Amino acid sequence: MAEVTFREANKRYRRAFIPVMVVYTIAVFGGSYLLKQFETPPTWLAAIVALIMAAPVGGVLWLMWRLSRETDEYTRQQQMAAMAAGGMITAFFSVVWGFLELYNVVPSLWTFLVGPIFFLSYGLIYCVSRRSFGAGFEK
Amino acid sequence: MINTLRELRAERGWSQGDLADALGVSRQSINALETGKFDPSLPLAFRIARLFGKGIEDIFDDGLGHMKKAAE
Repeated sequence: MAEVTFREANKRYRRAFIPVMVVYTIAVFGGSYLLKQFETPPTWLAAIVALIMAAPVGGVLWLMWRLSRETDEYTRQQQMAAMAAGGMITAFFSVVWGFLELYNVVPSLWTFLVGPIFFLSYGLIYCVSRRSFGAGFEK
Repeated sequence: MINTLRELRAERGWSQGDLADALGVSRQSINALETGKFDPSLPLAFRIARLFGKGIEDIFDDGLGHMKKAAE
């Protein structure tokens, strides 16, 4: 594990996060534009475009992993706990929805939503855990 | 675990941010340490002890120190 301070780890994360998001935006809009040029895009091209769109998300996950390795131990503990909770909420939600779907209680859910559900639940839990300790800060 | 981090910091007139910068950790970590919500790893405890020029046991107390003294 690289020996960097909390500040340096956050700087490294932000420096890499912004370009990855720019690539993601270009991939989403550029890919959609490209596929619209075809009446029926070839499957191989659609697959390549979809994978290119998804790749930056993998990059963000890797950046989150690197940040959790480089940040200080308390923040790492908070982040890991929030990630685990986010993963469990997503898994539980998927299982509940899956059973409901099995008996035609709810419509079929787009698999694509699993990612945002994880990121949302992870983010909310992390923010709540930060706020719970933030109240006691002294300037 | 209880500790004297807040007192040691106050003696030097440091803010939580100053101490966080000196240790290379977040200000949140210092707050969690001072309020006893988080126990440091051994390497971080050593860094804190060295920064204040004290032994780890002078700063951190797991509440069992009196048992050791009684045994002696």
